[in-house]
Amino acid sequence: MAGIRFDQVSKRFGGVTAVNALSMEIQAGEFVSILGPSGCGKTTLLRMLAGLERPSAGAISIGGAVVNELAPAERNVAMVFQTYALYPHMTVAGNIEYPLKKRRVPKTERAGRVREAARVLELEALLGRKPRELSGGQQQRVALGRALVRDPAAFLLDEPLSNLDAKLRTHMRAELIRLHRRIGRTMVYVTHDQLEAMTMSQRIAVLNEGALQQFASPQDIYARPRNDFVAGFIGTPSMNFLDGRLEGTGADRVFRSGDWSLPIGALRLADEHPDPDRRVRLGVRPEHVRLDAQGEPARVILVEPTGHETILVFDYSGNEIVARMDGEVSLEPDDSVRLSFRVAKLHLFAADDGRRLNLDDS
Amino acid sequence: MSAPARKSRRYLFNLFAWTVVLVIAFPLLWMLLTSIKPQSELFLIPPALLPGEITFEHYRRLLTETPFLTYLKNSAWLAGGTTLVVIVIATLGAHSLVRFSYPGRERLATLVLFTYLLPSVVLVIPLYLLMAGLGLANTLTSLIIAYTTFALPYALWLLRSFMKAIPEDLESAALVDGASRMQAFVDVILPQAMPGIISTAMFTAILAWNEYLYALVLVNSDAARPLTTGVINMLVTSFNIEWSLLMAASVMMSVPLIVVFAFLQRYLTRGFSAGAIKG
Repeated sequence: MAGIRFDQVSKRFGGVTAVNALSMEIQAGEFVSILGPSGCGKTTLLRMLAGLERPSAGAISIGGAVVNELAPAERNVAMVFQTYALYPHMTVAGNIEYPLKKRRVPKTERAGRVREAARVLELEALLGRKPRELSGGQQQRVALGRALVRDPAAFLLDEPLSNLDAKLRTHMRAELIRLHRRIGRTMVYVTHDQLEAMTMSQRIAVLNEGALQQFASPQDIYARPRNDFVAGFIGTPSMNFLDGRLEGTGADRVFRSGDWSLPIGALRLADEHPDPDRRVRLGVRPEHVRLDAQGEPARVILVEPTGHETILVFDYSGNEIVARMDGEVSLEPDDSVRLSFRVAKLHLFAADDGRRLNLDDS
Repeated sequence: MSAPARKSRRYLFNLFAWTVVLVIAFPLLWMLLTSIKPQSELFLIPPALLPGEITFEHYRRLLTETPFLTYLKNSAWLAGGTTLVVIVIATLGAHSLVRFSYPGRERLATLVLFTYLLPSVVLVIPLYLLMAGLGLANTLTSLIIAYTTFALPYALWLLRSFMKAIPEDLESAALVDGASRMQAFVDVILPQAMPGIISTAMFTAILAWNEYLYALVLVNSDAARPLTTGVINMLVTSFNIEWSLLMAASVMMSVPLIVVFAFLQRYLTRGFSAGAIKG
C-alpha cells in the first residue's frame, strides 16, 4: 500500500498543455476521484501515474519513491481501462493470470490466486470463456480481476463504469466501494461523472484545462467550492450564477444586479472591505431557491417533474434561474410567483478570476 | 412471390452463375485437358474437348527429363524466403508506424507507398547493376531482395491498417500488467494481428510465386531460375512450343496456389476489407 504524490507535474503534447504544474498528495489507502469535463487532462494524469506517458516536467512518487523513470511494469500499479482492454484471444482465466505470469509467480501459486480473484468477483463459472462471450458487466469484473489478482500498491481506474447501463453502473459502484473497504488499497478513479465521484470517493480532485481546481472531500467540494468552475461543475442541476456588484459593507452589504438588489449582510466574506465597485458573481444552488410571498416576482418557464422532486426554470428579473423543489409543487408554465434565496447558503465569487469570496467556515 | 416462382428464379440465377464460372474457368479446364492428351490429339480440327486417350506422359517427362523440379524448388524458396523477410520487417514496421510517435512518421508512411508507385521496369536495370555490384547476380538471394523491394511497401500498408484496428489500450494493459514492450507485442499484438499477417503473407507469397520480370532479368542460370521464367525458357523456343509440357507445367504451378487459397480463403477476404470496418 502506498501514497501517491504529484509534484508540479506537467504534460505537453506538441503545443497543447494537457496537465499544467499539478501538485497533489494522495494518502495510502485513500479512494480519490479525479473529476473533470472531457479533455481536462484527467486520463493523461492517470496514464502518467501508470507509466504509459512520461511527464514533461515535475515528479511523480509512489510510496515515497520517484517513479518518473520507471517502466509501467516496474511500478506495481494495476489499471482498469474504460474499454476493459481484455486480451481477446485469452480466456477469462488467461486474462486474470497474465499479470502473474509476467511477474514470474510460480505456476502452482498462480492457479490459486486466479481462483481466489475469481471467487471474490463471482467469475468462477466463467473462467473458461473468452471475453467476447461475456456481457459488459462480466467483462468489467474480469478487468477488475486482472487488477485485483496482483495485489498492487495502487489501483488506477479509468472511467471503468462508463460503458455499463445505468442499473449495472449503480450496482458496480456499490461493489467498488465494498471492494475498497475490504482490501484498503489506494484507488485513483478517473471519471467525468460527478455522481460517481461524489458517492464513491473520500476526496475528489476537480480538474479543468489541465489544472487542479480543488482537492477536497465531496461535502467540501459541494458546500465550499473554491471557484466558480467547481461550483458550476458540481451539482445537478448546476448552480445558478448572477453577475453584479457588491455595495456597502458588513451587515449592510448588498448585491446589486441592474435595478435589482439583494441584501446579503448575513454572508461573511473573507475580505471584509472589498472595493465598493467590486464586480462579483452570485451563486445560488437550485435547492436554495424557494417560493416566498415576500420575495421578488418571477415567471415559470419550464416544469420538469421527476417524481420525488420537481425542477423548475424561472425568469427572474431577466435571469434564468433553476430551482429544485419538492414533487408536490403544482406550477404551470407562465404562472407568476415570488421567489427568494436562502441568503446564508449563497456563494460569492470574484468576477475577474472566479475565486470564492465567502469565509470558509460560513 | 409464390414458392414456384422463387424456385425458378433461383434456378435461373444458378444457371447464370455457373455460365459465368464456366466462361472464366474454361482456359483452366482447357489447360488441364490439354496436359493429359496425347501429343497426336493436340491439333485436331475440329478440336476435341475430351481426350480420346488419357496420358500422364507429359508429367513424367517434365519431372524426370527436365529441370522442372529445380525450378519448383527455387520458386518455393523464393516465395518462402520473400514472405519471411517481408512479414518480419512489415509487422514490426507497421507496429512502429501505428504506435510510436516520432517526427516524420506520416511522411515516412507516405514515402513508403510512393516507392510502390514506381513501375518495376524502371527499377529493374538499377537493381541488376546493384546486384551485380554486390556479387549477388544469378542467385536466389538477389531475387528475394528484389521481391522484397516491391512486396514490402504493400505489406507494410496492409498490416498498418490491421494494426490500426487493434485498440491501443490492449498494449497499455499488457505494459501495466508487467510486460516489456517486446513481450506486449508478442503476447498481445501478434495474436490480434494474425489474420492480417496471414493474408499479407499470402499476398506476398503469391506475388513472389508469379513474378516474371525480375526473374527474367536478374537470373539466367538454371540453378537459380524459378518456375515462371524456367518453364518458358525450357519449353518455348523460336522454333517450337511444347504445348503439352507447357500445359502440364502450368497445372503443377497452379496447384500449390489453389491449395493455399482453398485453406486460407477466409483470411484473404478479411485482408481485402482491412480498415473498412473497425474492430
